Amino acid sequence: MGNEAIARGVVEAGASVVTGYPGTPSSEVIETLQRLGQGLGIYVEWAVNERVAFEIAYGAAIAGARSMATMKAPGLNVAADPIVSAAYGGVDAGLVVLVADDPGPHTTQTEQDSRWFAHVAKLPMITPSSPQEAKDFTVKGFLLSEALSLPVFLRTTTRVNHAVGEVVTGEHSEPRWARGFRKQVERFVRAGMSWNLERHRWLNKQLARAELVAEELGLNRVEGSGELCVVTEGSAYNYVVEALGELGLGARVIKLGLLHPFPRSFVSRALTGCERVVVVEELDPYVETMVKKLVAEEERLRHLIVLGKDEGLLPLEGELGPGLVRAALAKAAGLEYEPVRRESPRAPPRPPPLCPGCPHRGTYLGILIGISRAGYRRDEVPVFGDIGCYALSVGEPLRAIWTEHSMGASISMAVGLKLAGFRNPVVATIGDSTFFHAGVQPLIEAVHKRVDILVVVLDNQVVAMTGHQATPAWPRTETGRETKPVRLEEVIRSIGVDNLVIVDPENVDEVADAVAKLLRTPGVNVVIARRPCALLDARLHGVRRRYRVVEEKCTGCNACIAATGCPALYRTPGGKVAIMEADCLGCGICTRFCPYNAIVPVEEETR
Amino acid sequence: MTKVVNILVASVGGQGGLTLSRVIAAAAVMAGYSVRTGETLGMAQRFGSVKSYVRIGVDTPVYSPVFEPGEADILVGMEVAEAYRNHHYLRPMGLAVLSTEEKPPISVSLGKAEPVTMKKLIEALESHGAEIIIINAPRLAREAGNPRAANMVLLGAMNAAKRILPDNAVEEAIRAILRGKRAETSIKAYYLGKEYTGKHKPSKEHWEDKAHASEQT
Ligand code: SF4
Ligand code: SF4
Repeated sequence: MGNEAIARGVVEAGASVVTGYPGTPSSEVIETLQRLGQGLGIYVEWAVNERVAFEIAYGAAIAGARSMATMKAPGLNVAADPIVSAAYGGVDAGLVVLVADDPGPHTTQTEQDSRWFAHVAKLPMITPSSPQEAKDFTVKGFLLSEALSLPVFLRTTTRVNHAVGEVVTGEHSEPRWARGFRKQVERFVRAGMSWNLERHRWLNKQLARAELVAEELGLNRVEGSGELCVVTEGSAYNYVVEALGELGLGARVIKLGLLHPFPRSFVSRALTGCERVVVVEELDPYVETMVKKLVAEEERLRHLIVLGKDEGLLPLEGELGPGLVRAALAKAAGLEYEPVRRESPRAPPRPPPLCPGCPHRGTYLGILIGISRAGYRRDEVPVFGDIGCYALSVGEPLRAIWTEHSMGASISMAVGLKLAGFRNPVVATIGDSTFFHAGVQPLIEAVHKRVDILVVVLDNQVVAMTGHQATPAWPRTETGRETKPVRLEEVIRSIGVDNLVIVDPENVDEVADAVAKLLRTPGVNVVIARRPCALLDARLHGVRRRYRVVEEKCTGCNACIAATGCPALYRTPGGKVAIMEADCLGCGICTRFCPYNAIVPVEEETR
Repeated sequence: MTKVVNILVASVGGQGGLTLSRVIAAAAVMAGYSVRTGETLGMAQRFGSVKSYVRIGVDTPVYSPVFEPGEADILVGMEVAEAYRNHHYLRPMGLAVLSTEEKPPISVSLGKAEPVTMKKLIEALESHGAEIIIINAPRLAREAGNPRAANMVLLGAMNAAKRILPDNAVEEAIRAILRGKRAETSIKAYYLGKEYTGKHKPSKEHWEDKAHASEQT
């Protein structure tokens, strides 16, 4: 997998400090290193959020340790502040920031095109197209970073991070640890405005050398020849190569590995002799804009016709695929091309549900019932959501959350709503890891500004959505490193909330009563709904018990499914309900909703 | 044209569709082929629709990890509704290897959508001339002593029909990815699927196994 290849590159480069915050499609880099890493003796741990991750990596790199920070695109925004300043300070050893974009999008809130961020931060950015390049470019990223004394972005997309393919590996190198940290205030103290001006000049000088170094590292290349030229990068390159073969088109493929600074002289040389230039890239016309600028500025290229997104050749949204690229290249080359059209079958929708036994199901049912018990209709009390598995509560049948915006925004947006004069109570729901990541400051804001708000922290004690990573509450990390667990309730209490109760989400009525009471109590009130992620718990400790439906008792009223939406429940051809025993994780929540007591635990002996 | 084999694995999250695609990919690498897979991981994909693409370049490098509808040589359907959702990926006269397992999506359980029956799936596949293998993969997996190895049963069935991957490469790949006892029972499941398919040529004519829905455990 591309991410495993990046992990391999980290080992080959001898990085000693690797950190990040989980986020699809970037998470497997650190996971792989953690799995293989005990023997490596390097520091590979999750950080509380992306900015902290970057700052840790930066702190290591200014002391001569090769380091890496990994994140998905929205995480880059969280880390933006320290990254932009780091361009002025520079590094004393390679620092590579992996940022994984998600055209599609498959698992991300936006289709952010992080290539533009390289411009904002004024830092070099490189991008691989294949698992092999994912490894090679990671190593080269460290070399580029050291050659320029600047942090370097390794920008990937899902189809590279998660693509599996053959990879030829290289040699391990010894981890490079800190050599020492020398006091250089003009580099590292951003309070001096004249220093900042000076460092900005320095930064521009470094950037000007990037193309030359990239050339030495072989990051850009030209394949094939012809008057039809295709400029491409990243995963789009793969579609281009195959499309040209399938269309039987001869063309010159200009493949960019360096995205920023734009390799101007390389592209200028490569375009010599071209007539028609097609730019194939995902999301925004980033490369296209650069190519058009170049063509406009250079006399001898001015006759070129450049085709891309501006010309409507390819869409601005969604990911590319072989079909889109084939059609675009055929059109650009003036070929007749009839794509195979296949209607998508009308299959019953299967949006991802909360897992069987998921504690979030009980929490949201408790919140919704609690809203009624407090005397409100469901549509009178907004439930703010946050980033995590629990956002799946938006689906049928719970339809619980009203928003899911960005890490931590549940609390701050709820605060904003109240401050704007909204009269009804509001509920903010946030997971434990998301709370540690970006929920603490919003809660401080709520307490300090005396806003009436109910915050429900869904504490499943793990970063579940991205594959079960550690939270600050863990007593040891994935690599076995002993930690001091940070206790959620202690943090919350110390902020000064008015009321704090801890409930068990499997007891829906306990949750509902707490919610009902606190919705009628002024102040900042917090409910911690605590129970470990059902999937992880079953994996670690086995399934406590399972449930079954007594066929004779079941009337087929469907109340259990309509209330819980648990995917282990299904309708039988006989019009009743049954439980897929292998999937049931034994939370027992469905039993509460069966009016006929038809759902019972499976007896030990019959299991 | 050079030879690339496109395989689409359609499954419900948690069934082992991703493991299957990784085993196929690893076996293909061990057999000396070029390979790419495309899949979406992460997100709470348990019980959601999962589609993974596997592309094997027998005598040519592959680049793209994905392919378009109508371009799959083989559709591996681990679940009836998911096989149906993706049947348009199969090229005309392609091979469909189907498990009888059903996991009704919530939309069906809530009565908001029509369920997909095996009969409907077969009709859809026949409309593009597919060769169809239907196999009670969960049952054979249990026989192999590993209820989670339905994916390997289907791999066995696929390989019995198409002989893409040498057995020793498959064994090696399973051991590399699963390890321990699970690997051995998975290998057993692979051979059960392969033998069963070789012996019975299980197609729709032989599909009488109506017990699948009540036989989920
Ligand atoms: S007890 Fe009921 S709600 Fe809980 S996992 Fe089993 S079937 Fe689902
Ligand atoms: S709520 Fe009880 S009676 Fe109604 S369908 Fe479910 S199990 Fe059967």
